[in-house]
Formats: sequence, structure tokens, C-alpha cells
Amino acid sequence: MNTSFYKGVISGVVAGIVWGWISMVVNSISGAFPFEHSFFFNVVIFSISGAIFGVIVSEFLVLIGERLPFKRILPKAIMVSTSFWLLLRSGGIVLSIMMPDRYHPEIPQAIQGFFLSVILGVLVSLLWDKETKALTSYEGV
Amino acid sequence: KTLMPAIVVVALAFTMVVIAYGMESVAPGVHDSFHDFRHVIGMPCH
Repeated sequence: MNTSFYKGVISGVVAGIVWGWISMVVNSISGAFPFEHSFFFNVVIFSISGAIFGVIVSEFLVLIGERLPFKRILPKAIMVSTSFWLLLRSGGIVLSIMMPDRYHPEIPQAIQGFFLSVILGVLVSLLWDKETKALTSYEGV
Repeated sequence: KTLMPAIVVVALAFTMVVIAYGMESVAPGVHDSFHDFRHVIGMPCH
């Protein structure tokens, strides 16, 4: 059985949900954006979005992790998560140029977003190591 | 090892693009529902 796919899904979902909650806390502290929806609505939305973002990062690690120029999982995960965030942000810049009335960038929020993408990389790498140990011991039974 | 993760990444990356840019034409209601999330992660929005 190939455990990488399952490891990617499990570590991505868990890390992503935790990251979603951390994002809410970080934004509450920084005040970069005043929340418009209720707390409970945002908990659900940030959990779903975080899980999606987390699985993207962890499954990217499954696919291209061995080809990245690092030995440890931590820099690999940070590289993948920040790269994906930068890719999304680059698309956002293009949209800002094309439709400035619909999309206008906020620099403090962008800095916060980049910082949060680094945190997601750290969380995915932490859970990746834990999942490796758990699945290895499970397969050893 | 390769195909399944690739399918998952492509599908979820597309979903994330729809969320990040609030593409109402693809998913009606996504702009308002994910409005706070988009701002918090630093995506451009109105």
C-alpha cells in the first residue's frame, strides 16, 4: 500500500483546519481586516478553505517533494505553500490591473497572507512527520 | 503515487482559485461566503 497519498490527505486536512483557525487569531491580533461575518460562520469557512489549502500543499509534496532542493520536509513544505500563495497573488495582481474597480490590493493583508502561508508550511511539515511515524507503526503490525 | 495526487491537486487548486478570486460565474455565492477569508490571506478584493 502506498501511504504517501493518504498521509498527504490526512496531514493536509488537519494542518489546514488548524491553520484556518490560526489565520483568524492572527488577523484578530493584527487587525489587517475587520471581520464582516459572524465568528461561527467564519470558523466553518476558514476550516473548509484551510483544509483545501492544506491538502494542495501536502499533495504537492507527495508529487514533487523528492525533486525539491532540500533534504528536510520543513523547508520543502514552506517552499510549496509560499510558492502556491505567490502564484495566487500573482494572478490577483493581474486581475487588479485588468479590473481595478473589482480587485484592489491591500499591502498589509498581502504581507499577512505571505506570513500565514509560511505558517501553513510549518504545520504541514509537523503533521507530515507525525503521520509518517503513525503509518509506519501501523504497517509494522 | 502519481495520478491520484495529481488529480486531487488540480481539482483543489481550481477550487482555491475560485475561492481566492471570488469567481461568481463558476460558483454563485462564493464571493460573499469567502469574503473574509480572501482578505485575511491577502488576496485582492473589493
